[in-house]
Amino acid sequence: MRLITHNMLQCHVKGCNANNFPLELQEVVLEQEEAELNEDFLRNMLGKIEYEALVATCLKLDINDLPAAMPADAAYNDEFLQILHRVILETHIKSGKMVCPNCQHIYAIRDGIPNMLLAEHEV
Amino acid sequence: MSHKNPLHIPSPFQANEPDMTPEQKEQQYVHSVYQVIAPHFSATRYKPWPVVEEFLTTMPAGYIGADVGCGNGKYIGVNPNLFMVGSDRSSNLISICGERGHEAMVADGLALPYRSGFFDFAISIAVIHHFISPERRVAAIEEILRVVRVQGRVLIFVWALEQTGKRDFDKDVQDVFVPWAMPKKAEPKKEKSAKSRPQGVKKKDRKAVEAAAAASSSSSATEDQTLDQKEVISENMEKLTLQDTTTTTTNESSSSSATASTSMSDPTSSETADPAAPAAPVYNRYYHLFQKGELEELVSRTNKATIVQQGYDRDNWWCIVEKAQN
Repeated sequence: MRLITHNMLQCHVKGCNANNFPLELQEVVLEQEEAELNEDFLRNMLGKIEYEALVATCLKLDINDLPAAMPADAAYNDEFLQILHRVILETHIKSGKMVCPNCQHIYAIRDGIPNMLLAEHEV
Repeated sequence: MSHKNPLHIPSPFQANEPDMTPEQKEQQYVHSVYQVIAPHFSATRYKPWPVVEEFLTTMPAGYIGADVGCGNGKYIGVNPNLFMVGSDRSSNLISICGERGHEAMVADGLALPYRSGFFDFAISIAVIHHFISPERRVAAIEEILRVVRVQGRVLIFVWALEQTGKRDFDKDVQDVFVPWAMPKKAEPKKEKSAKSRPQGVKKKDRKAVEAAAAASSSSSATEDQTLDQKEVISENMEKLTLQDTTTTTTNESSSSSATASTSMSDPTSSETADPAAPAAPVYNRYYHLFQKGELEELVSRTNKATIVQQGYDRDNWWCIVEKAQN
């Protein structure tokens, strides 16, 4: 799972509707894997990404490359786009867990695949 | 003279026990089945359907999409200018998807883990017909629409009741069991079987069979009719809702267990058995077959989307819907 995907995920336990994003990463094993840079995709992502959550998540993983605030010219700032690319597309979470800050539900990540299934009473 | 393979003949859906909940039925007749047939199923699923391919290749570069019920992820790489995230209820199919380098997660279509309005588009290919009631089918469509942004488009494919292909469906019966037969021709690739044994089936239901799956021998599973003869998968298979193909598909294997295991096959004879012999392990999947107009009717019930395009292709009804403003 790439870091970009983590930025899309929220806790979806029934009734857990507030403070359910971002899921807190714990005991994470990371891996860098090169990928082709796609500017169209990165620009499209700028409007979708929860940037503050991304930076906070990265800091907890000791990834300190991203500026605290998104540059005003982000869409055409090559240096920024390259850092963003490396962080959200080339950084993979191989294993670990994601914990909901609200209800504390734990989602496990194994072999790079998160299990987002809920128990019957949580749906 | 026609050659109807008996394994293509569907039968009316009938739950093992009358008081099963919708969740239990889907667990037993959809999720558990896909867990077990995943490797063989995946080997038959690689050629993209043209309508889906066109939908994906005409998306603007940089768009982000969700493939809900992505199976082995065969659509995720179709357009390399898109970023797609796949989810499926079957962890075994998702493992295959992940091994291919796709973004993939195990998730339930009725409870997607994504932020609302995130995706530019979504696809749901041959998924909605596995939900057991009209309410759950509507809920599944609503959940996809939730995660798509306003004006985002969703392509939905469902199996048609009216299909005239190799399966004869009784036009009065919409809720059916469709058999999936594991091929029995064993290949000597047993070193793989222990490692890639399907996960996620409850241990108590496990009763491993050395039913090696050779995708080349069985014509019964070639729903795409594009089976790659070279793709041979050897698996240590587990059985559930397993039945002798000569019996009816009702509850002959019923027991106290929700996933009853009864084998009519003799694993030791599988290497020499005739592929058409009745001892092949057969798994019944639940399908709701859609009538013309039914998919559109479900979409309109959501009140959250308009239909942009619709059609019939390869035994399926399909439509493209666009998420409405409110």
